[in-house]
Amino acid sequence: MPKKKITLALLSWCALLAASLAAAAPLHDLYLCASNSRGTRVIGFKDTSLNGVYRREADGSFAHLGLNHPMTLSVSFDPRDARRFYVASLSGILRTQDGGQTWRVATDWDITEPKSVVVDPNHPDTVYAGVPDGFIVSHDRGLMWVRAEHGLPDRGKYTQVVQVDRTHAGRVLIGCETGIYLTEDGAKSWRHVFTCAATVEDLQQSPHDPLFWLAVTQADGALQSQDGGLTWTKLAGVPSEHALYNVAFDALNPERLALASWTYGLLTSEDGGRTWGERNAGLPVPHRVWRTAIDPDTGRLYAAVLDQALYVSDDFGRTWKAGGMEGSRITGFTFVPRAAR
Amino acid sequence: MKKFISLLTLAALLVGPVFAQPAYSGPMPVPPADTRSDTLRRAYLDRVREVLVWYAATAKPDKPETIGTGQIVAKLALHQDAALVSQRIIELMKQPQTGDMFWMFPWAAISFLGRDQLSPAAKAAIRDAWRTYFPMRGDTENHWAMYYSSLYLMAELYPDDPADSWFTGKSSAENRAEAKGYLIHWMDLATTIGQGEFNPTHYIGEYAIPMLYLATWAKDPEMRIRGHMMLDWLMAELADNTLNGVLRGANARTTEESVLERWNGLSSFFSWTMFGNTPPPAAYGGFGIFFAGAAENYRLPEVIYQVAVDRSQDYIQRDLKRTRRRWRYSDQFMPPIYKTSYMRRDYAVGSYQGGQSDPIQTHVWDVTWAVPDPRGVHNTLFSMHPYASTEVLQMYFTEQPDGLIDSLAGQGKPSFGVPDKILGASPYERVFQDRDTVVALYDIPAGTSYPRINGFFSKDLTHVTEDKSGWIFAQGGHTYLAYRPLAPFHWEHLLGYRQLPSAHGYKWERIDKGEQGDKLLVSEQLRNGTIVQAASADEFKSFEAFQAAINALPLEFRLEPVPVVRLTTLRGQRVAFTYGQAPVVNGVPLDYTKWKLFEGPYLNAEKGSRRLTITHGRLKRVLDFNTLTITDSVTP
Repeated sequence: MPKKKITLALLSWCALLAASLAAAAPLHDLYLCASNSRGTRVIGFKDTSLNGVYRREADGSFAHLGLNHPMTLSVSFDPRDARRFYVASLSGILRTQDGGQTWRVATDWDITEPKSVVVDPNHPDTVYAGVPDGFIVSHDRGLMWVRAEHGLPDRGKYTQVVQVDRTHAGRVLIGCETGIYLTEDGAKSWRHVFTCAATVEDLQQSPHDPLFWLAVTQADGALQSQDGGLTWTKLAGVPSEHALYNVAFDALNPERLALASWTYGLLTSEDGGRTWGERNAGLPVPHRVWRTAIDPDTGRLYAAVLDQALYVSDDFGRTWKAGGMEGSRITGFTFVPRAAR
Repeated sequence: MKKFISLLTLAALLVGPVFAQPAYSGPMPVPPADTRSDTLRRAYLDRVREVLVWYAATAKPDKPETIGTGQIVAKLALHQDAALVSQRIIELMKQPQTGDMFWMFPWAAISFLGRDQLSPAAKAAIRDAWRTYFPMRGDTENHWAMYYSSLYLMAELYPDDPADSWFTGKSSAENRAEAKGYLIHWMDLATTIGQGEFNPTHYIGEYAIPMLYLATWAKDPEMRIRGHMMLDWLMAELADNTLNGVLRGANARTTEESVLERWNGLSSFFSWTMFGNTPPPAAYGGFGIFFAGAAENYRLPEVIYQVAVDRSQDYIQRDLKRTRRRWRYSDQFMPPIYKTSYMRRDYAVGSYQGGQSDPIQTHVWDVTWAVPDPRGVHNTLFSMHPYASTEVLQMYFTEQPDGLIDSLAGQGKPSFGVPDKILGASPYERVFQDRDTVVALYDIPAGTSYPRINGFFSKDLTHVTEDKSGWIFAQGGHTYLAYRPLAPFHWEHLLGYRQLPSAHGYKWERIDKGEQGDKLLVSEQLRNGTIVQAASADEFKSFEAFQAAINALPLEFRLEPVPVVRLTTLRGQRVAFTYGQAPVVNGVPLDYTKWKLFEGPYLNAEKGSRRLTITHGRLKRVLDFNTLTITDSVTP
């Protein structure tokens, strides 16, 4: 048997094993950032919808955690203690240290609308956040925040997404208005590693190969890097005329990837990104997929269809079923190892 | 885009049932001949009392749903029914709270007004809501003004409370420090490089009310005087930019209604309250009650009153403003806006140069004429490029691109994505104003939404005449108007908007009033332009004489390769204006870098100075944010 087929067979077996184990006890908790006002919320008007951070319960439903905030975008957990986590919200970075029972607006008046927040897994006292006017970092678990923009341009540093290289403390990639920037010294300095025409919407590091990264953009399609984000090339086969919003790796199967888009719906690849196809049959029409994710325990594919519901697929998009969160706008998926609970 | 709001609708929600209001439905107010300080003060307090009494009367003890925050503020300000109000507050606090910073400032006011009236249980219920309800901070300067002023005052009212007693998770001291930091930052911006949301027809309340509250209730003397000074600053700008109380263009932000019926905005509530020279809008603009609740603590300086009501002399005012924050897709964060205002007894001409100060609600220029009673009158003339793009929305909002335009109508902004809109600015418009002449040039790239120029022609214009010279002449009130489209055009009915019932967000239908309604002059040439000149009817023997004078003026223009206009104005100024270049007047290019923060007969401030001098006749007030002093003087 060729080596590749053996690898695939082993991976499939692992996936089945993992899936069976996960059915009994998932290794990860799933958290969502979501709003439930169907995109019609107007500040100042009556709005009693419940929004913010949700966690998947044992029965598959989603339970709201504490703070009702209509605009949360990103959540990141302290790997030492998942009760401590950070949320990027319209009001600033929110921090809880008790699993969402109590909260603090961790940032001051000068930080508005952070788009992405990430804890450095190798140095979890350090938390990074992308903001509309640049980048901020905290070295004391979110108590104090400072700007860290040396090397970023004066204009063009609108930061949509932040990702930390899990293999190196202080190595961070950010997706900005003008492209992708890299720091290898904990945001003391940045260098421009890729230029884009419009905002980079998402960056993800492969769970299988830490040197392999994917990015999606508003106007430049999907990008890949094989060298840890130093250089980037366009991913052939992915349309680039319209915005792509996020990208997901399958932790159980390195061949499986998924992209979310308002225009194209859900795009998947099952050959490591060489070819792509739409997996929209069974999703509501129009299939405006705001975010996608792949469960690291089961390989289940998630599609958050804007203002409709969360849809799930256990055959990688060939068939779909409703997965709760009706009427929601899901802006972020985060899987957190249960060991950190 | 959570953040858009139709203030008129919100006003209606806040008010509840609307019934006759004395000033709204009564005759036009006349500024008193007796302008002695105590007379003016008495009239001001009478108007404030009218608001309070009217609101208090809308509260029916047997119908708790009629007692909302406006009614509670009114009753507390009038020292009425403390027990009833306390009971109602406890009921309201048991319900889910909503409204973000629009929730915060009414409840801050109620907390202060009710300090010596509310029951301990009512006070405790309000206080606890500031722990359990998390209002969003918002994303605009008016949001932040409301949010931080309210948070600041509540943190002063409860000065030593721990972090776990506030929704922010911060102690009273931390909340105070953060709020003070922002408010001083905003005041610094406004007093050095200019207001962002300048001359807003509605949002003026969202600054004036928080500043009044600081001036009234802040314990920290610095914040108290800062609030007072900023309120003076806002009222001075209002006084300087109103024609008989009506705030006309240019406006950083206005609405589909106010851009036509120039009187119909919350700004008219402030003109009525402060100057007594125009009626207040329906329900006192909705937010008026929240000003009235503390208004007795503000005394309008006489110099500002005189600036507002004296239109005996023509004047030019040039101001420096700035855009809203541009997060991306722009070389500048808050580019400067250069604003020109020409005020006369019969009309006002206003404009700004500098692009889009706001992505949706900006109004760049107009001629607004005086009318005996502005209610229901569309007393304005202008043209604009109806520009709509996702990119410009993303410039100002931190949103994803898809669905942005479509979502606006559902959020109370019906016209952003329609080609016949009359509200908004364009990056492809350049405007120059010299006194009562405006030249607007357009160079619209192919493929831009939308490929046309909309000229607004009011239902209230008379003698609209398409002259063979190419000029269109008309009369508005006592003002003669000449409008010169630089390219072929056709006429359309301007369709209005009617709001439809909707469970989620706003829904609209368009309505056509036919020949009785307003009209649009539509010109579909991409390189284009408009010239408007205005004059008082008193200046000419007849309307025909005005037309002859306009036709006799030298005028040359071409549209290719870029629009260029050379003309001599009615005032004898030789103007040369090329799209993309500095205007040239009498051979001298205009240098915007020398623009001051304020320059005119009444308001003057150097850029970066933090110091505004307000003068009228012998009266002078200096607002100095460097020393936090207010200095009044009377020239001998």
